[in-house]
Amino acid sequence: MPDLYIFKAQIGMVDPIALQNQNVCIHYVQNEHYRKVDFLESIPPFQCINLGALAALTTTARTNVVNLEMPNNEFGLFRWWPLDDAQIRLYHPSGVAKWQLRWLQVPLDMNIINRDPNLVSTEIAVWEDNRPAMEAVNGHAIALGAVRIIALGYRFHTVSLESGAHANPQLVKQLKSGDAPCTHVWCSGRGIGD
Amino acid sequence: MGLLVNDRIVRAGAVVNLAAAAVANAVVVYTVPTALVGARSVKIHRVNLYNNVAGNTQVLIGTGVGGAFAALLPALDSFNGLVDAYGPETDLIQAESFANITAYPVALLGGTTIDIQLEVIVCG
Repeated sequence: MPDLYIFKAQIGMVDPIALQNQNVCIHYVQNEHYRKVDFLESIPPFQCINLGALAALTTTARTNVVNLEMPNNEFGLFRWWPLDDAQIRLYHPSGVAKWQLRWLQVPLDMNIINRDPNLVSTEIAVWEDNRPAMEAVNGHAIALGAVRIIALGYRFHTVSLESGAHANPQLVKQLKSGDAPCTHVWCSGRGIGD
Repeated sequence: MGLLVNDRIVRAGAVVNLAAAAVANAVVVYTVPTALVGARSVKIHRVNLYNNVAGNTQVLIGTGVGGAFAALLPALDSFNGLVDAYGPETDLIQAESFANITAYPVALLGGTTIDIQLEVIVCG
């Protein structure tokens, strides 16, 4: 099942990472949820947050991106870019730095649309209301009128394979062993050493 | 996603008549869109001025009125009886504004006016 992976770098826009009736494993911090997709739809590009006006050489407070929250039993797959010339630091959830190297948390800026036109490296997933957070850094000696973020992607409604009406312990066993296809979806970052 | 590089909408504003000189008489010449999902801003793309025999003067473009006026661009020349067109070809700076854009003439000959029209790039 070549379609069942994240960070697809095909030509064009972002592809869904699972289709109808395909299996997914939602990873949120150290938790795993084995589920099956029973509905999906695209989310066109939209302004998901405005981190606000930003004075020269300042950083915004860490701000939750509540517009990327998903309803119960759903996860979202998003790629995104900033419209204004700030560097953005991503956290997911708010206490966990994303894109964290040993010595540096990698930021993202407007150049992403030239350097990574498919926005592959910006791809994140959001499980239910476990939204990411962002900080914006204005390195200019002049103020920014706003720091706006555009996101696009997919919405996936899922049912649990571990409990409830769609429970299937045998399938879950196969998914865990790798005997059945499954897309692993990381819906959070991971702390260093965690 | 190459289209994202050209992520913009170009819109022309209404023709606005500047009938009174001085910063206290600055009027709105482009209204920034509101009531949408997401904050919009506009970048000035072109400015056309038609001088109705108002004498050689200058027009200031910015935000606010009176003491709150903040220029977005240096003064633009408006020559007596002529159309003055400013745009990318004349190296017009694409100044960005999140507030409604206002303008006023520095001076006018008695009873004359200047017409102004902006074309903007809408961002957001």
